Amino acid sequence: MANEKKMKRCPVTLQPDIENILDWSSLEAGDFERASQSEKEDFIQDRQSVSYWKDAWRRLKMNTVAMVALGVIIFLVLFAFAGPYLVPYGYEEFNRGAENLHPFHYALEDQKRLEAEIAARTQTETMSVDDIIAQAQAEAEAKGEKLSSVDIAKLRAQAKVNTQSASQEEAVDPDEILKELGIKKKLFGYSTAELERKAAGEKVFPHIFGTDMYGRDILVRVMYGARVSMSVGICAAILVLCIGATYGAISGYCGGRVDAVMQRIVEVIYSVPEMLVVLLIATALKPILTEYVNTGSGPLKSFVAVLGPNLISMFIAFGVLYWVTMSRIIRGQVLQLKQQEYVTAARALGASGGRIIRRHLIPNCIGQIVVTTCLQIPSAIFLESFLSYLGVGVSAPLPSLGSMATDALSGMYTYTYRLVIPSMVLSIMILAFNLFGDGLRDALDPKLKK
Amino acid sequence: MGKYVAKRLGMALVTIFLVTCLTFLLMNAVPGSPWLSEKAPSEATLAALNAKYGMDKPVHIQLLKYLQNLLKGDFGVSLKMQKNRAVLSIIGEMFPVSAKVGAIALCWAVLVGVPLGCLAAFKRGKLTDSILRVVCTLGISMPSFVVASILLVAFAGGIASMKIFPTIFDASAGWRTYVLPCFALGFYPMCYTARQTRSAMLDSLNQEFIKTARAKGLKNSKIIFKHALRNALIPVITYLGPQVAFTLCGGFVVESVFSIPGLGRYFVQSIQNRDYPVIMGTTVFLASFIILMNMVVDILYKIADPRINLTKGGE
Repeated sequence: MANEKKMKRCPVTLQPDIENILDWSSLEAGDFERASQSEKEDFIQDRQSVSYWKDAWRRLKMNTVAMVALGVIIFLVLFAFAGPYLVPYGYEEFNRGAENLHPFHYALEDQKRLEAEIAARTQTETMSVDDIIAQAQAEAEAKGEKLSSVDIAKLRAQAKVNTQSASQEEAVDPDEILKELGIKKKLFGYSTAELERKAAGEKVFPHIFGTDMYGRDILVRVMYGARVSMSVGICAAILVLCIGATYGAISGYCGGRVDAVMQRIVEVIYSVPEMLVVLLIATALKPILTEYVNTGSGPLKSFVAVLGPNLISMFIAFGVLYWVTMSRIIRGQVLQLKQQEYVTAARALGASGGRIIRRHLIPNCIGQIVVTTCLQIPSAIFLESFLSYLGVGVSAPLPSLGSMATDALSGMYTYTYRLVIPSMVLSIMILAFNLFGDGLRDALDPKLKK
Repeated sequence: MGKYVAKRLGMALVTIFLVTCLTFLLMNAVPGSPWLSEKAPSEATLAALNAKYGMDKPVHIQLLKYLQNLLKGDFGVSLKMQKNRAVLSIIGEMFPVSAKVGAIALCWAVLVGVPLGCLAAFKRGKLTDSILRVVCTLGISMPSFVVASILLVAFAGGIASMKIFPTIFDASAGWRTYVLPCFALGFYPMCYTARQTRSAMLDSLNQEFIKTARAKGLKNSKIIFKHALRNALIPVITYLGPQVAFTLCGGFVVESVFSIPGLGRYFVQSIQNRDYPVIMGTTVFLASFIILMNMVVDILYKIADPRINLTKGGE
């Protein structure tokens, strides 16, 4: 409604521009000369035709935010799909002796200084139990007596109480010593053994984001998690695109009773609480598909086995419910487009309904389709992480950003980075897709073209 | 009006019926049963248990029986988690907790989101607008568990002075206990509402009647609140229905993180435990609640906007 009003709005002033009209009639003889060849070429070049995509790309390029988002997406794709080949660790590989590494380390000599300092401080405070007993025994022997086992037990208990109270009163805080000694953290996580190997001249790849409690490299796990998220997002979006576009186009093109019935179905699915049902479908399908992989046969089985029951159940859950938005958008577009002359012409030439939809209608609402598909990706990623977080999505050993965050909850105060890193990668990924989708919409939206 | 409401009600009932059947069939298709635990029961025990709960009959007969009971208001009894307790009484105990947290979250989301959206629209292109846009886009890009975890780290971490709000839910502890869960739950809807309001406000500010109001010499505040906002709010209201659903379902995560004894957490636990009657009961209950909320919001929306023709509304 708003656009119609804008079209009708009158220009700035109703007064004719007299100056301009007077200008037209003051022409000289020279003005009627033929245009030179170069002038003609200039004229043609100025009005070079711009295709739909070129036009959109030009507008997209001017949108800095969208371009940055695109850069982030490309980086994340490389990170997720090429990254694991650059890092020599596997996502399931337990690196012995490298458990619970922080994403920083102390140099070997600093570690030794630290240990020495701690040892020095604790030794001055208390003696070890055995030392105390030996001392007491020596004293007793010097007096010519012998310690009974009861006395030794008493001494032990005494010593224990002493050490406990000492450690309570003057607990040695490594952080403080580190500060006093001026030892600085160095980037990336290395275990002590790895540092020694490195000192020996071997090349050791650092654990850039540290490791988890089994010694698994977090960087690699994040890469695989990002890969899972992106695959789910993109595949789900394509699935939604296929179902939604077909359904919407048929519904819009056929019209009448077919449209009415199809729209009732859409309305029913639209009001189904999505997350609830997706959660149920994902939970229910996973064991069914797993059993199928174990017992079934045929080409379908190997297909399921390659992708994994996890991912497939998620695709199905997503595909069943999320195509309605897409189908509504396409139907609206098709309803408008099918009134156009070229559709009538195609029909007059005897084209079938399927051909008209495929060759004429779908290509003409491609802008809307692209935008909706692109905005579908982040919502699929969102849902995948949600399911994985609740423990019904992607399951071990395959890592997912959501399940990594759940695993990290137990030690979140000591090992905050384990929670923060996957969460951040996930949020940045969704953010980039959202921003890029917004930019794409601005670039492709015909309403803004004026 | 009556015709429209009747039509919507019929549609809602069909949807609830479909969701019920779908859930029932899905649950029955899953391998494994609620009787399986660390110690495998004998064949005879299994058969007796199945016979007792009517699980030895074919699926369609079980479904019919379930639907019959449902019509009588009988949701069955829990098989595993709280053995032999009626599902309806479990729902009656847990839902109010979820509903309270959800309602508070939704309230603050709307009360903060709408003004922020207006502010952004009115300061279009200025610094305020850019900042709000970044925050809101970030907000709709963070899954609720990320927000909840950030809050946990911030408020329960090493810094003692930050431990103002409890991170473990305790209904007897007063208002403080609601702060973190409600913030985590309401952050996404808040950002979404702000974005929706902004674009609706921009649309509405471009309309002719705003120019008329300006030309008339009305004050800015009157133009915004009386003329622009009233029109802009209508599309925002439409979103409220789905938002109720989102808040309830987002509750799955937030309730687990903050250990709130609500229905969402119980639902997830019942799925993991394969306690069929509880899964069925909570699904039917939550789905009906969400569907009916959507319907009510839709009807209210049509009442609020007199320009929409009610009888032709759905066509």
